[in-house]
Amino acid sequence: MLEILQNLTFQQLNNKDMSYVKNDVSDTFKDFFSIKFNYLESFALMDGRLAMCGIAVGVAMFALLWDYLYPFPQSRPILIFCVSAYFLMMGILTLYTTYKEKGIFVVAIQNDHTGFVPDNIWEASSFLKKFDDKYNLILSCKNGKTGARYEATMVKSVANFFDENGTMVYELLEPEVSKLHSSLLAERKEK
Amino acid sequence: MLQSLFDDVKRMNKRQFLYQVLSFGMIVSSALMIWKGLMVVTGSESPIVVVLRQVFLHIQDRGDLLFLTNYKEEPVRVGEIVVFKVEGRDIPIVHRVLKLHEKNNGTVKFLTKGDNNSVDDRGLYAPGQLWLTKKDVVGRARGFLPYVGMVTIYMNEYPKFKYAVLACLGMYVLVHRE
Repeated sequence: MLEILQNLTFQQLNNKDMSYVKNDVSDTFKDFFSIKFNYLESFALMDGRLAMCGIAVGVAMFALLWDYLYPFPQSRPILIFCVSAYFLMMGILTLYTTYKEKGIFVVAIQNDHTGFVPDNIWEASSFLKKFDDKYNLILSCKNGKTGARYEATMVKSVANFFDENGTMVYELLEPEVSKLHSSLLAERKEK
Repeated sequence: MLQSLFDDVKRMNKRQFLYQVLSFGMIVSSALMIWKGLMVVTGSESPIVVVLRQVFLHIQDRGDLLFLTNYKEEPVRVGEIVVFKVEGRDIPIVHRVLKLHEKNNGTVKFLTKGDNNSVDDRGLYAPGQLWLTKKDVVGRARGFLPYVGMVTIYMNEYPKFKYAVLACLGMYVLVHRE
């Protein structure tokens, strides 16, 4: 019976673009962190990316303006500089997204209210392979004090979290999130 | 599909939205930087041009994309195809060099003519101008791609088509999340 329900939901989901589905689940996950567990979301990673994009676009606009004020060939040296700078920023941005971000969509900080123990940093990254329905989520917790990193993974079909109409059902995702979260907390305490 | 696009937008927070705007900016900037890069590499202010009217018998046709270079070290020679701009006219002209005068100090004057025309281009030059100089030249034709320029011609002749294409592209980039 459950299988039939899952097949039905997956049929509905197929009409939606899979990237929207992934974003749906990721966003809800994000909500859990801020609402349920009351962690503070850190935007440092996103801000880094925004800053790099901003600089790249800024350089391009500067080149445009300079060339407009001092037409080619007078603007040649500035253009050379701007074009090289732009493509260099693009390269740095690509490296940043591939190696530093790695699909991480939320970074939350677990504050210790007494202020004695350094904060724990929770990171969640997800990916959904093309034409696959298995949503992969990796939740990691970095202990602020010891610096040790614990990871928990959840691989589940996205059909589990959506109802027949293709709407995201909060209650279906909640137990998964709590399970992952508690397992990490327990792991931390053990070690 | 349109509905899911708008759903995604509603869910975006400030940072996401800023990122979408910057993504759009980056696409525009990339195109711009490639164009400026080409300008620098070829030395021409307009490295790629589209032929609007057939001027050469069987060599260049309407809709052809021409690749130009404008290196100082390579002088213009008679028989070559050059793209030049006449003062007072926006559209550059693609014609062949007919005659060339070279002074001892290196300054060059030349006369052009379209293959399909029966007279030289003196009628096209600015009033009082009998010769073209280096500064009028946009570049020399180095290669061409046939028919590719037709898209540009259509976009210029039907501006609504151009705006529609740009608007669709813009909307798509602004709204689509990775």
